[in-house]
Amino acid sequence: MTPDTAPQKEEPVEPNRKDIDPQDEQAAVDPALFEEKPIAPPFERTVLTTPLHLVTSLESRTNRWTDWNGYTVPEVLTGLGDEYRALRGAAALMDVSPLVKYRIAGRDAFAFLQRLVTRDIENLGVHRAVHVILCESRGLVLGDGLLFRLADDDYRLVTEETHLAWLMDSSEGFRVRIEDVSATLGTLSLQGPLSAFVLMQAGVGDVASLAPFAARWVTIAGMPVYLSRTGASGDLRYELWSDAEDAPHVWRWLVECGGPLGLRAAGFALRELARLEAGLPRAGQDYLSAFAAIDAREALPPAAIWASPAIDLDKGLFNGRAALRRGSDEPPARRVVSLAIEGLEPLRFSTLSLEGRVVGAATSTGFSPALGANIALAVIDAEAAAAGALLAAAERRDGLSVRETLASVRVLAKPARAHPRRLAVPAPLRP
Amino acid sequence: MERHDAIVIGAGLNGLVAAAYMARAGLDVLVLDRASAPGGVSAAHEIAPGFRLPRYTLGSGGLPPRIAADLGLAEHGLRFVRAEGGVSAFPDGSYHASYRDGAVHRREIARFSSRDADAFTRYRRDMLRAARGLAPLLSGPARGRAKGLFAGLRARLSFADRIAAIAPEDLNDMLRLWALPMSEYLDACFESDVVKAHLASAALIGGTLGPCSPTGASRLVGPWLSETGDAMGGAPDTLMPYGGPAALVDALTGVLDANGGRLRLEAEVTDILSKDAKVHGVVLANGEEIGADAILSGLDVKRSFLSLFRWKDLPEGLVERVGRVRMKGVAAKVNIALDAVPEFPYLPEGCPSLGGGLRLTGYIPAMERAFADWRERMPPRDPLIDVLIPSLIDPSLAPPGKHVLSALVHFVPETLHEGAWSDERRDALRDLVTARLAEVSPGIETRILACEVLLPDDIENEIGLTGGDLAYGETTLDQMFMNRPFPGHGGASTPLRNFYLCSPSAHPGPLVMGGSGANAAAEVIAARGGRR
Repeated sequence: MTPDTAPQKEEPVEPNRKDIDPQDEQAAVDPALFEEKPIAPPFERTVLTTPLHLVTSLESRTNRWTDWNGYTVPEVLTGLGDEYRALRGAAALMDVSPLVKYRIAGRDAFAFLQRLVTRDIENLGVHRAVHVILCESRGLVLGDGLLFRLADDDYRLVTEETHLAWLMDSSEGFRVRIEDVSATLGTLSLQGPLSAFVLMQAGVGDVASLAPFAARWVTIAGMPVYLSRTGASGDLRYELWSDAEDAPHVWRWLVECGGPLGLRAAGFALRELARLEAGLPRAGQDYLSAFAAIDAREALPPAAIWASPAIDLDKGLFNGRAALRRGSDEPPARRVVSLAIEGLEPLRFSTLSLEGRVVGAATSTGFSPALGANIALAVIDAEAAAAGALLAAAERRDGLSVRETLASVRVLAKPARAHPRRLAVPAPLRP
Repeated sequence: MERHDAIVIGAGLNGLVAAAYMARAGLDVLVLDRASAPGGVSAAHEIAPGFRLPRYTLGSGGLPPRIAADLGLAEHGLRFVRAEGGVSAFPDGSYHASYRDGAVHRREIARFSSRDADAFTRYRRDMLRAARGLAPLLSGPARGRAKGLFAGLRARLSFADRIAAIAPEDLNDMLRLWALPMSEYLDACFESDVVKAHLASAALIGGTLGPCSPTGASRLVGPWLSETGDAMGGAPDTLMPYGGPAALVDALTGVLDANGGRLRLEAEVTDILSKDAKVHGVVLANGEEIGADAILSGLDVKRSFLSLFRWKDLPEGLVERVGRVRMKGVAAKVNIALDAVPEFPYLPEGCPSLGGGLRLTGYIPAMERAFADWRERMPPRDPLIDVLIPSLIDPSLAPPGKHVLSALVHFVPETLHEGAWSDERRDALRDLVTARLAEVSPGIETRILACEVLLPDDIENEIGLTGGDLAYGETTLDQMFMNRPFPGHGGASTPLRNFYLCSPSAHPGPLVMGGSGANAAAEVIAARGGRR
């Protein structure tokens, strides 16, 4: 008897679990289960939503949205000033699900990743994370991200942009499985001096003992969550990785527990500001992947983007090693730097000049209320970065007229915000 | 004798662009055309009452914004429509569309391979790098030689310097693009056959190379040449004139008129008067002679030299050189008037890319077989068909609710191995095209009100385009850039003084619509300025 022959049709029975014998291979199966569901063509929804879209839209007072990596995320939920005060005084909760997540597993996963990234990951323990840089064969940066070791042969690479083609091309000869798991995970970022306390209130035991860049499985509101002490911020911060279906519940529970403590849900604008204050460049915004830089001069080596990039030339063969070794003694021609312009009002500026000559452009700008300064990340000529007396063409609008003024720019040697609390062990529960 | 500053032979698109530029520069310009309406290849054509489409070309190209802005075409009623990059439909019912939006386009590729969706970033970079490298070459004449010994030496040294300054990897990227066959190049970029076929089919149209012919990879750059800085990271789109090429012709004649230029129709030029390798006038079919300081020919290079001059008046060796220029017909045009909107059940409803065209194509091996058939001069069995339904974007081209469909059937030989095309062969081609259309749009055959097939031979006979080659000369590297129309003569000027080529037979050829006309006008204007 084949599954689709008639007897069932005569008396339509409701699917009853007791009727199904798991041992019976000929058991009648609902054919609808195996029907191919038509996938909506890409143009029908040009911007995707994250697993947290419904909860964030409930939270939104402004209805201001932005596009991040092809996903809709809130730009601002209540007000940037309000959200910023929460970030610096209590805690802010953000949806960072549009980050790209790869699962890299298999017998050669370690060897493959050693080949892929510039730093030595020999000492990366299970439930630990490190910042890694990916270079192509000319030693130019493709992207950066966080590498988590979930188990012995199981890693998670979290990046800003997609790298699947490069990962697969580099994995030739390695016994690894590379999967894009972005859609299966919901990711929350919790930042601020009270973030550990909020987690404690939410029922996470012994939060304080979690070291920076360490992670652990915890239960929040009855749901398994992978909690890591990571994030794009210069303060105490955590990221929470959970199943896409669980993420909204985790979000709601944290808002409920943290609300009385001053926690605010925040949008992408605040994440950008926190990142900017911490001086962390973002791929695609402050630097271009070498595979996306149409002008070859816009592809940069790691030393141009980070002040002290994690590169271990002696760890063995890795992508870009020969070129990085060759270029290790000559300083890069262009550099990504943090800038500040003193002043108590937000400014619009991009072009940077030195003695009348354009030397670069600001790639991310923002006004930091705590510092009372406009801060920016910019790509500028390396010698101009050393000279120091830079000027920015700031645009001041008054009614319909625009006035261009030159504001003097300070190159920041250290990021605008790097609170010692960030790395403190145990994590402080009080500000 | 009537006399003008400049005479343009042929009121085709490039001829009109050249004339409009010259008229705006204050020259007294006369345009002569043997037809009763301007436009040449791009002329307005009614296949049935109320159904308008270009008779010989697909009509998907757009003038570069630079030319449209220079000539102020918007003031003469020209509007452009941005159309997404088109859809490829495969015999197995699958399809691949191009989208302007990067995120959407990557998700489209991810339907076939998520690896390729990411690899598109790198492919796009390589295409845009090549396109930007070509841009300076395409915006003016391509001179192979600098004048004078020292200037020549200096130019050569700086060229060597530039080559030496290129990193070996970049040089390799460049060489791969200019030397490899398209299929090999795409194999190195993508894994999905659908993705590769979609890109290849778009690039093959209009050329005489197959997907496996060496140097074919460079054709992949073609669609990216017009991509501008504000691009959204996806596939390149096309800027199409609203109303098709006929609207472009209307706007150009408007500019010509407004600037005091004259257009004389039903005036066929039969001879060009020349003395000591210097031209000074034309003779019309009725015997009338008209003098001019500069004469621009919008005809293809072979017809310009071999049929308008007495061969003994041409400089030594020119006849042979012109004879060696390869012009081969590769495409037949099928024009169809439809009673109702065609349905495409295999394509998603409302797919915005359909406005940019529909390609009926197989995978790369099928394209290579179609190319082999063409080379062997077999009647096409499984050709590559490029379809445009311009009335989807511009409903004024057909009566309400009805549509016009343009199909360019690629890899159709000019003559068959058995001799000229017979009526049966021609009917078989028409049936083949309607059958292929019916595969993607069942029932379309019952909606056809009128249908005409124009073989390369018909195109040659009707408008005088040698070989029916819509590219005005093969677009292989030896006939492009500084080699178009002749080696060392990349541009509009010719070995005959005051005689210029303003057709796509001259650089930049079909790569930039109207580019040859704009170049010719610039050379004429510059030469006059020099003389004063």
